[in-house]
Amino acid sequence: MNARSQTFELTVEGRQVDEAVASLFHTVLFHRSLGKFHYKQEGSYSVGTVGYTDVDCDFIDFTYVCCSSESLDRNLKKEISEFSEALRGNDGPGSGQISLEFFQKKKNRWPFQPECIPWEVWTVRLELIKLNNEHERQVCREKVGDMLTEKILYIAEVMNRHEYVPKMPNQSELDLIFDTSYPDVQPYLFKVSFTTSGPSNTSVGTTMKKLIKETLSL
Amino acid sequence: MVMKMATVRLTCQDKKDLEKFTKFLALKAAQIIVQSRLGEKVQSKCKPHLSGTDWFNLAIQDLPEVHAETKKALCGDLVNAHLPMCVEISLRTVEGDTMMLETWSLGVLPDQCDPSVRVTYTVYNRMCVLLKSLLSVTRVTPAYKLSRRQGPDSYVICYRIYMGEPQLHNLGEGYNQVRVGQLCTPVGTIQLSVSFRTKMTISPQHTGKDTSIMLKSDHFHPDLSPRHMRYQQSEENNTSLTETIKIGAFADNVKPLTQPGESDLVMPNIPFSSLLTPQHQSPRQHTPPQQAPSQPSSVVTNPETGSGEEAEDDGNGNATPRCASAADSRRSSCSMVSANEDFIMVDLKTPFAGNNANSDLGAFYRDCQSAPQLKTFSEQPTLAEQVEDITKTLEAFESNMREYDDMLNSLCLNENNN
Repeated sequence: MNARSQTFELTVEGRQVDEAVASLFHTVLFHRSLGKFHYKQEGSYSVGTVGYTDVDCDFIDFTYVCCSSESLDRNLKKEISEFSEALRGNDGPGSGQISLEFFQKKKNRWPFQPECIPWEVWTVRLELIKLNNEHERQVCREKVGDMLTEKILYIAEVMNRHEYVPKMPNQSELDLIFDTSYPDVQPYLFKVSFTTSGPSNTSVGTTMKKLIKETLSL
Repeated sequence: MVMKMATVRLTCQDKKDLEKFTKFLALKAAQIIVQSRLGEKVQSKCKPHLSGTDWFNLAIQDLPEVHAETKKALCGDLVNAHLPMCVEISLRTVEGDTMMLETWSLGVLPDQCDPSVRVTYTVYNRMCVLLKSLLSVTRVTPAYKLSRRQGPDSYVICYRIYMGEPQLHNLGEGYNQVRVGQLCTPVGTIQLSVSFRTKMTISPQHTGKDTSIMLKSDHFHPDLSPRHMRYQQSEENNTSLTETIKIGAFADNVKPLTQPGESDLVMPNIPFSSLLTPQHQSPRQHTPPQQAPSQPSSVVTNPETGSGEEAEDDGNGNATPRCASAADSRRSSCSMVSANEDFIMVDLKTPFAGNNANSDLGAFYRDCQSAPQLKTFSEQPTLAEQVEDITKTLEAFESNMREYDDMLNSLCLNENNN
């Protein structure tokens, strides 16, 4: 099965990386998270309520909405800041991409691990720029905000196409579809992965990594 | 034909459910839109263990006022009305100018339907997704940033909920239209979209009557600003005071001010007429002094007409309350608006600066506006000192605007009685 794939490209200053990625991924996760399921008996369950929070960005003129779940936020931010550090650790302007991948698990024969089948991938490709003064920074704040606005509208558009999402499972298979480890929300299973590269060093290693990754995700 | 077959195939229970879902979709959408324009960040908690209380598995708090307004607008139900429900968001400045910012519309397109879709499960879940998209999109249209910066001394954001085709002609040239989302149901496609203004320059168009005295939108024009004129006119203060004060105006109100027979005071007809009509460059400079008595009366009534408008507005539009929901808070914010509106441009002369015979009047003034006693009034100040004192006095005046309003109003009343 081919996963749907969406790619966003952004040009940002180093300190905007975390917020730019978080605003997009949180918006996606907000759409892809349900209330917690509580099974009464087989075939019947109740669904909890998802709360939401407005988040103002510090380095971008932008506000986004995310699930009111501290642990979800913490996990996502952790992944994003690893990416951010790797990206900004490079000398000079660099680029990189980070992906939010939704997958479902398929049970395998013992002793093999269950197979992970991605069904939707959201990728943010970032190009880092250096700014010289506060005026440029101010312009960039607004520009990145405008670009994020477009992306949010696009996310809403995609979400409302109502394309494939995994079927609601029965109780025993809930963990194959949803991440049930959060106490307050129930997102579809997801993982975050990233790659970075310097200005011009598409080394054999990264190309190979990319090749392998792409092969695996098919 | 397709539609008819579909409606026939739809069971009674499904039809009922669908109508109910659509109604709640409209109610919740209105809540989301209006709450996003309150100027505050919204936060609601997840409720993992509660169930059955929140529609669409989203913790949307209901503001009773918005709920009532939406219900009033909806009357029947969205599905059979075939008319979209619109939520209009507009901005109103303290000067009373309004600008429509955006119109959200939620409607059902009856000719696109999907009879196979399951109402209770699929439609409901897609409505959840639609509302989540609405939450995300409300934060990114230009009106969101404006609403976060609103305040009683600059502008407030207002909303209006109505049924009917969206009225977009007030959005200015080049407005944008964005579809938030849509979903197919057995009776049609539910669509939610927003049209928003992209050109944010406000063109002054006074909504109230243009008879209030100091209602001007050129307050910050450098040539016309009171600060600028203050310095320009500082030298003619002595004469302007004697020209403008009519002693009789205060006589029966507070205390006797002048000794009879003080012949060096010229008495024009209108007390403070030059205060009421800015002398230079003002658009009102043509106003003949005879009209002055009628002008202050419009000042008195203007806040009332303002609130009258507001009450009228209640039928179809409301100022967005800044906090919570109470209608009182809305009203109070509006009354602040109209109070500020009236005396923005009081262009004061400095009546006590000179060494003329007006020290009694000066004392009266100081009594009225409770500015600190300045030594320069009793001494012979240099021109530079005078100018500085004038500035200070004027600043004190400006900070005591309200008291000054009251005094002016009482003066006007006196004049009318006479």
